[in-house]
Amino acid sequence: MRAFEFVAARDSRHAVALLAERAGTAKVKVLAGGTDLLADLKFSSHTPDVVVDISRAEDLKYIAMTEEGLRIGSLVTHTEIMRSPIVRDLFPALVDAAHTIGAVQTRNLGTLGGNLVTAVPSVDSGPTLVALDARVTVLGPAGQRQMPLAEFFVGPRKTALKPDELLVEILIPKENLGKPTHFLKFGLRKGQALALVNVAASFWVNWDAQAFVAPRIALGAVAPKVMHASTAEAYLEGRAIAPEAMTEAGRLAAGDAKPISDFRASADYRRDLIAILTRRALEGAFEQARAKRAEKKK
Amino acid sequence: MTKVTLTVNGETRTASVPPEMTLLRMLREELNLTGSKLGCDVGDCGACTVLVDGKAVNSCLMLAGQADGRDVLTIEGLATMERLHPIQQAFEEKGSLQCGFCGPGVIMSAKALLDDNPDPTEQEIRDALAGNLCRCTGYSKMIEAIQAVARGESARPARKSA
Repeated sequence: MRAFEFVAARDSRHAVALLAERAGTAKVKVLAGGTDLLADLKFSSHTPDVVVDISRAEDLKYIAMTEEGLRIGSLVTHTEIMRSPIVRDLFPALVDAAHTIGAVQTRNLGTLGGNLVTAVPSVDSGPTLVALDARVTVLGPAGQRQMPLAEFFVGPRKTALKPDELLVEILIPKENLGKPTHFLKFGLRKGQALALVNVAASFWVNWDAQAFVAPRIALGAVAPKVMHASTAEAYLEGRAIAPEAMTEAGRLAAGDAKPISDFRASADYRRDLIAILTRRALEGAFEQARAKRAEKKK
Repeated sequence: MTKVTLTVNGETRTASVPPEMTLLRMLREELNLTGSKLGCDVGDCGACTVLVDGKAVNSCLMLAGQADGRDVLTIEGLATMERLHPIQQAFEEKGSLQCGFCGPGVIMSAKALLDDNPDPTEQEIRDALAGNLCRCTGYSKMIEAIQAVARGESARPARKSA
């Protein structure tokens, strides 16, 4: 590994101060869980001059229910998400997504914020949060700004973060608390594999009309960034819930995507996967909606 | 240089290391604890697995400076001069390892699992070992060994060390 200067930040404000001080004149990288950055530092030719370690910033380690919704600090690890009683209760899809990332050792180190900041098209934390209309907060020298996660992702490995900004929080808005959501990932192996396709489907149910309300379908690994399958979403809005509708939504989602062929899979194969995974994710979300309803009636 | 003071296997250790040194290299090269192995060096193979504050992590993915003040347990911290750790004993009895390179990492992953969940299902064991790659024998005998420890077998008195 090439030499660099190592600075440990005490908290998020200190980290932002360090970034403001150094990012203008030096190439600075932020170290959170390190599961991606350390591999880059060892094998990439673009090594930074300065590494700002935020792994001890305790103020970014929280999962909290507030009036605006569920707030997750960017340094919460994948293991912590999997073990959080609030997340397990409200968003089992987030637990499933976290579980597909790496293995125990990398989930103990890797953070939600770090995963999102990599902004790789296959980012496993992405689809569920995009399907839940998550917003992110970034902190910079001028203060905080908020944006939808879908806009935070700009392209492959590109985010809306400026060099002197830090991702500090992920918010799932209150109107989506407990919204039935299902996440599916298809990789070449069960363990430690990148997604060929990952999909999250989310919708409320109008039980009187047995219809989809506010349907969201988010796709990963099939476009430069995590994307909404907008045609499929528009098709489902207000439509009666039926197996045929879910199959058709899958077909439309496959048309919405812009997959590439690479050494892992061809674009055609990825399209086939999208159609099937989208249908299954819709089925899974509906199953969850029914189970929640049955539980409430008890 | 970064001064790092941490607890390793119950003892306080200090070393002055370059900022880019990983915890794994510090353990191996500064503290002469070569039980943790350098395999892939990118967090895929798990041969470098150690417990930091009780959690299994890839020591190749942590900078030594990040471990400052923390409590690290390596494979060297399991056995005593008199006896193997029950997990090590079970691995020996079941013939769970062949070349043994992945062993320290696998055993540390098993230790983290059993500390947290003393009665894991087979699926939970498989999940706990998903980040440890073995290219010799496969995982069946490792899983049997971990199940034996969970059932309280492997209580056979350990052989005396020479």
